[in-house]
Parts: sequence; structure tokens; C-alpha cells
Amino acid sequence: MKTPAIQAAPVPSATLSEFIATFAVILAAIVGLLLFDTGLATVDVRQRKIFAAREFRAGQELTTKGSIEQGIEHLRAASTLDAENSTYGVGLAQAILADQRSTDAEQMLLPLLERSPNDGAANLAMARVLEKEGRIEEAKSYYHRAIYGAWPRGADQNRTVARFELIDLLARTNAKQELLSELLPMQEDSTNSAAQRKRIAHLFVVAGSPSRAVTIYRDVLRKDSRDADAYVGLAEAALSLGDFTTARADLLAAQKLVPADSSAIQGRIVLTDSVTALDPTQRGLSLPEQYRRSKNLLRMTLASARSCLALQAPQVAAALDSATLQVSSANAVGQAQSIEQTLSLAEQLWGLRRSRCAPERDSGALALIHLRIAQ
Amino acid sequence: MPAIKISALPARLVRMVEDVRKKEDRLALLLSLVIGALVGLVVVAFILLTGRLSALMYPAGGAGWRRILVPTLGSLLTGYLLFKYFPLARGSGIPQTRAALFIHDGRISLRSVMGKFVCCVISLATGIPLGREGPAIYMGSGLASVIAQRLGLSRLQVRALIPVGGAAALAAAFNTPIAAVLFALEEIVGDLHAPILGSTVLASATSWLVLHLVLGDNPLFHVPGYHLVSAAELGAYVVLGIVGGLSSVAFVKLLLWMRARFAKLPRASLWIQPVAGGLTVGIFGFFVPQVLGVGYDQIERVLNGDVVLKVVIMLAVLKIICTSVAYASGNAGGIFGPSLFIGSMVGAAVGAVAHLLFPASTAGPGAYALVGMGAAFAGIIRTPFTSVIMIFEVTRDYTIIVPLMIANLIAYYVSQKLQKVPIYEALAHQDGLHLPTRPYGTRREVLRVNTAIREAPQSLNPEMKIGDAAERVKDSVLESWPVADDLGLVGMVRTRHIAAAMDQGRQEMTVARLMQIARRSDGQRYAELPHVHNDQPLSRALARMRDTGHKVLPVVSRANARIMLGVVTFADILKAYGVEHAEQLDYREHPDL
Repeated sequence: MKTPAIQAAPVPSATLSEFIATFAVILAAIVGLLLFDTGLATVDVRQRKIFAAREFRAGQELTTKGSIEQGIEHLRAASTLDAENSTYGVGLAQAILADQRSTDAEQMLLPLLERSPNDGAANLAMARVLEKEGRIEEAKSYYHRAIYGAWPRGADQNRTVARFELIDLLARTNAKQELLSELLPMQEDSTNSAAQRKRIAHLFVVAGSPSRAVTIYRDVLRKDSRDADAYVGLAEAALSLGDFTTARADLLAAQKLVPADSSAIQGRIVLTDSVTALDPTQRGLSLPEQYRRSKNLLRMTLASARSCLALQAPQVAAALDSATLQVSSANAVGQAQSIEQTLSLAEQLWGLRRSRCAPERDSGALALIHLRIAQ
Repeated sequence: MPAIKISALPARLVRMVEDVRKKEDRLALLLSLVIGALVGLVVVAFILLTGRLSALMYPAGGAGWRRILVPTLGSLLTGYLLFKYFPLARGSGIPQTRAALFIHDGRISLRSVMGKFVCCVISLATGIPLGREGPAIYMGSGLASVIAQRLGLSRLQVRALIPVGGAAALAAAFNTPIAAVLFALEEIVGDLHAPILGSTVLASATSWLVLHLVLGDNPLFHVPGYHLVSAAELGAYVVLGIVGGLSSVAFVKLLLWMRARFAKLPRASLWIQPVAGGLTVGIFGFFVPQVLGVGYDQIERVLNGDVVLKVVIMLAVLKIICTSVAYASGNAGGIFGPSLFIGSMVGAAVGAVAHLLFPASTAGPGAYALVGMGAAFAGIIRTPFTSVIMIFEVTRDYTIIVPLMIANLIAYYVSQKLQKVPIYEALAHQDGLHLPTRPYGTRREVLRVNTAIREAPQSLNPEMKIGDAAERVKDSVLESWPVADDLGLVGMVRTRHIAAAMDQGRQEMTVARLMQIARRSDGQRYAELPHVHNDQPLSRALARMRDTGHKVLPVVSRANARIMLGVVTFADILKAYGVEHAEQLDYREHPDL
């Protein structure tokens, strides 16, 4: 390398021995300073890490107790003191998210993810932030990165947490196919606890695969036949399959196991009974009874549809009109044909309602009967 | 320095050292590396010591009385040390570095360097809100100067090493190797094209490597990836540039005004004056702990979006006051860090307001804090180019570079309009020093060759006889004459050579032959085709006249150097500069002279 001119006198006036002595002193100073600096830096880093850990603990405690703003102060101090530790950064971002400042939390996480895109905790936190912001598709992507990302400690446990959060998100957004694809790998996972397996089974029901749920619940009951929750879950799966009788039997079994706290189960039994009483497709019903039930079903469906559909689009109004007409008409041409028409109209109306109204507004019994009819 | 017994050393080592000692390039290379490493380590020690000691002196969450007592006692101690032992260690260090470069032939004593180190460690560790970068530059330059003096280097060589040491120091202090080089050239030397560029780069890179070796790869600030949300947002950055410029002016004017007031106090009070700064900082620090120290932690928080409008405005105002009092009262420390602090708070305030008014089309306040740092730096330090690169290096965030450039230039312009003299120059003026200035404000008019060009005389032909040539040039005052063939200009011939040839009876000799003889006679000085171009500065024409000995030069086309556009003469150049030609002054007519 040709370095530029430090101009002028070609030979320094110091003698060769002075020249060497000067460089020897400089070299000694460099070595001494290097040792001093390295020692000091080690102490400094250690101290900073200790302070950071202390601040982090304080921040976590305060956040847990609900003093989020104060917690953020401590977590920020921890993050500043030990910027390399992504746990502190993620903790801070999560506290900021808990403080309803999702944009700030996102800004916090971006550099962490830029530095280590594979960081499981940072990806999970980012997924939560994006979910909060309603950016569901992006959130799903970060959940996946969290599931397959690197976790320095408790990898299996953290991955399960991330997967369950993703599953909950998918269940909430009614993304049944994606939900099913996330649940399938977990179905056979023997490391899951009974509680987790029951949760998975419940989610199979949500994902529209109650038969898989039945398998899991039965497996749980094989290991512990006194598990009331498993019986309730089994009943839920049976209801989804349209098997109201089995559902009732399972609920009664659950009720026997927890007689002292069976109000919720009792409620479900009542629901099952009302579904059974409403079901026009039940075997052994006389034609007039079928006709009565189908008309009743149409009436209930119409009421439910009206509450949310009102006077939306012309095709909705037309469907509502024809259903109203059908409900009010008393003289059917032939009862069997009339039952078919009524049920078909009810199904059509239910379909419209489902496509245009929020799912949580579905009436339990009505939804179950329509599910049964659809099957 | 103890001498070493050469005979005791291996002959090969001695030969190698002797080789380095005698060869300028190798010595420059070695010195750049050695200075870079040594300065880097000293600055790292400085950073670590101030950091560790400040954590002990006024720990976060410590008792309030400590925040009053520690800066007060710290300033008392440094005041005494500065007064009694290290008077040159007062203040930032950059004006002192420039003074060493331009007044003292680059000489800085080891005592001053050590004094700067000790006083600044005490000052910064006790919470005085001044920066570490200016002192680091002085220490770096000082160490380079001390080494150069010990090696017995020439005056020019010692001077040349001042910016080399300064750049190495800034690279380590700020973790900004490129900006360090630019700053050393732009601010210290005042010339971005200085020939020491290579040495400066090498020293800066070495120092930066040392920093990374010891402290790891951490930027000064960890900043989220900000970006321009919409093109309309540039309007907000323009506002930030204006506010940043105004804040810079307010800070500089307040600091200079206070310093002038302190300078009027009795000299005997010099040792106690820094206490005024320390006490002011302590009192403010009691209520608002964030004003203590340089405040990089607070900057990082703001850069990460932790902004409460009232708080950032208050911190900006308090920092301007505290830094001004602390610096003006004579504490040791610089204004680099405070500039960034003030800028980030001002930026965050502007950003918070912009985001409040236009949440959809503006980034968060953190982005504005980032740009604000650059704007204040450009407004206060007045190195706009360095500040852009510096912010980029400090944050390693490229996405915000366009708003940064815009805000920087506006702040620089506003500051330049309202505060004519840059801060370091003004500080030097207050100390009675008048250092060379950079061409601030309007660019100086450069006189060019086209202002002095005159019509070329009829050229001589190379085949022309000397007798005919002498006839052609006899009534002319031109001392050189163009020679051209059918294809254009071929060279210049001196009229005195023609006259000499005539005196020797060589009338039949050709002009071409005369030019060959002149080539032998002029030796290395001979130029085949001495010339200048129309757009070149007159200083270049003068330099070329000096090099070639011709007082007349042809002005030729840049497209074809054989096409002559005219000539320029020494007399014409003097006239263009407004200087009477000495030969036109007849001393006999002025006996009083």
C-alpha cells in the first residue's frame, strides 16, 4: 500500500537507538493498555449484565403486578444495559404491547429480528404484536417462524406455546383448513399432557373434524376414566357429529363424576334436549311432527337471520320474504314435499346468515340442528 | 528517553528499523498503524473509565443529594487541576488541536494530553454534561504529536500527524471510522483533499478495530429501522431542519455569551469558575436526573420511541442551559455529545407533534430524533457532510438518509445565516486565537485564466529562420512566443533565446533547431508544450510559469491542445489580481520611495 506523504525530512532527527526506544515504549504502552482495557471491559460487561438482569427481574415483576409503565422503565433499562440480550428486548416489546402500544412494540422488535431472524422469542412477540394490530396473515407467518425458530432454553415448551397461540388465532379467525393442518402434527404427540390433548381435541371440533376429537377424548378416557372434562368434550364432538343421543349420554356420565359442580354440564344437557326436541330429521317421528318441527326450525332460523341480516341486499330480502311466506302458509300441498321445501329454505337462510353474520351470534341449538341437517 | 544499545539487538531487526526510519512511506505506514492502535486503546480506556466511574458516582436511582454534590465536587476538583497543572486541558479540545496545528507547529505536550485525560475523566464521571469526543480528539492528536516529536520528525511531519491522531480518536470515541476521517479533514485541517487522507484512513480504521476488539461490535445507538412513511413527510423534516437550526443557534449563542461573561471575571477566580457549571448541573440534576452526564442512554430511549412531548422539550432546554454553563465556566469536556442530545430531543419533539397531527403519514418521533441529531450536529459543529455520514455510522440506518440530508442542510443554512462564525472559530476568537478559516458562506471568487487572456500574436513557424523570427518579435514586450506549424501549436520559444542566436550570428538557423537547443539548455525545466486552459485558476497559470520559466503561456483548447485560444502573460495576471506591474513603476519618478 502506498501511503500518502507525510512530507518533508526524509530521515527523522532521532538516532536509531532513540527511534527503537520510542517504539519499544509505545509497544509496551499498547500491550499495557490492551490488558487494562480488556480487564476493564470484562468488569464493565459483567457489571452491566448484572444490572441488566436486576432491572429485567424488577421490570417483569412490576409488569406481572400490572404496573406496566414502571415495568417498562426497568425493562428498557435492562435492554439498554445489555442490548445484545434479545430476551430483554423481547420482554420490553411485550410490556409495551401490554401497554397497548403495538406500533412501538413492533419498532422495538424489528432490529432484534434483523439481527437474528431466527430468534423464536422475538418472532413470537412479533406475531402477538401483529395479531393485536389485526395483521393476521403476517402474524401467522411470524408464528410459524417462532415454531421453527431457535429457542436457547425450553425449546419444546416454547414451540408448543407458539403453536397453541397460532391454533387459537386460526380458530378465532375460522381458518379451519389451516387450523386442521396445524392440529394434525400435534394429534399423535405423546409428550403433550392430558390437558393439552383435550385442548387439541376441542380444537379438532372447531376445525370441523370431530371424529379426530372423539379418538383423542377416548384415548384420554382410557388413561383416566374419571376425567369429566373428557366426557364433556366427547359430548361436544358427538353434538358436532349430529349424534345427540350419544352426546346426552356422555354429558350424563360427566355429571355423575362431578355432581357438586355440574351446572355447566346441566346447561349442556338442556341444550342437547332442546336440540333433540327441535330436530325434524330425528328417526321415528311422524310426518305431522316432522312438518311441525321443520316449520318451527324455519321460524327460528328466520328470526335469527332477521336479527342480523335485516334489509341488506335484494337477494337477502327475497329469501326473507319467501321464508316469511312459507312460515305463514298453513295448507301445504303434500306434507313430505312441504317438509323438504321448508328445510331447504331454512338451510338456505342459515347459509346466508352464516356467510353474512359473525359466527359468535349463532344460536347453539340452531347451529347444531343445521349442522346435523347439512350432514 | 533511554537510549538502546544497538549492538545488543539482532542485526536483521536493526536493518529493518533503519529501513523504516529512512523510507518516508514505510514510516508513514507504521506511524499510522501505531498511532491508530495506541490512540484507540487510550480512548477505549477513557470511555470505560468514565462509564464505570459515573455508574459509581451517581447510580441510577441513587439519592438526590448525590446528584447535587457529585457534579459540584467534580467541577471543583477539575477546576483546581486545570488552574494549577493543566490549563490547556480546559474545554473541548478541538480549538486547542487546531491551535496546535496552525500556531504551534503541531506540538502538543504529553502533560497536556495526560491533563486532558485526567480532568475529562473526573468531569464526565461526575455528571458534567459535556461530550467525550472533543477531548478524545485532543488526546489522539496530542499522542500523535508526542510520538512524532520523540522520533525527531520534521515540523511538517509533526503537523501532518495531528489530524491522523484526531481521526483515530474520534473513530474510537464515536465508533464512526468514516466520519472520523471526514471530520479530521473537514474541521481540523479544513481541507477534504488534504494529502494525509491515506494515513488518516489507516489510523482511523486501526483505532476502530481496536475498539471492536475490546468492546465488541456494538453501534453507539441501537435504533429501529425507520423509514420515510410518505413523500409529504419531507415537509415535517423541513420543519425539523428549521427548528434544529434555530436550536443550534440558541445553544451556540448562549454558550458564547456565557463564556464571554465568565472571561470577564477576575483571573484569580479561574479555579472556582467550573463550580458554577457543576452546581447548576447538580441543581437541575436533582429534579431531572437525565441532564447529568452526556446522556447517551436517554438518546437511545428517545431513538426507540420512548417520547413524552413535555419531557423531551424540557430536556432539550435544560441540556442547552446546563451544557452552556458547564462549558462556559471552564469544565473539561466537549460539545459533540451534547449536540446529539439536544438534536435528538428537539427532533423527538417535532416528531411527536407531527405524528400527533398527521399520524397516518408520518413516522414515529424516534425517526425524527434520529434526524434531529444530525440537524443539530450540522447546525452546531457546522460540518454537514460529516454529520450525515456520522449519523449513518452511529445508527447504521441507511433508510432515513434522505430526510437526514434535507434537515441537515436546512439546519446548516439557518445556523450559518444567524450565527456567522462557527462555534470552534468563535471559541478560538474568544481565546484571542485567529486560526485559518474554511470558506464559510459564499464561495470565494476564483479568478480564472479567461479573465486575463489576450489575443495571441502571430505564431512563428518551426521552419522559419531566426533572422525572420527576430524581425517578427522585435517590437513586442512578450518574453516568449508561440511556435505553430500547419497542425497547430508546437511549443514556445523565448525571445531572449532568439536575440542570443542573432548575437551569435545564427540568423539562418531554424526556430525548430533553436527549440531543440533550448530543450538541452532548460533541462528538466523544459516543457514540450507549456500551456494553460481557459477555465483554470490564475494561480495555476502562475504555478506553471514558475515551473517552466515562461512568462507567457498559450491558452489552449481542452479538446485539442494544439489549438491556441490566446495567451496569458505574467503582467496580465498581476493586473487581473489588481496588482500594478512592478516594472511599470518608475522609481526615478518617485524619489521619496
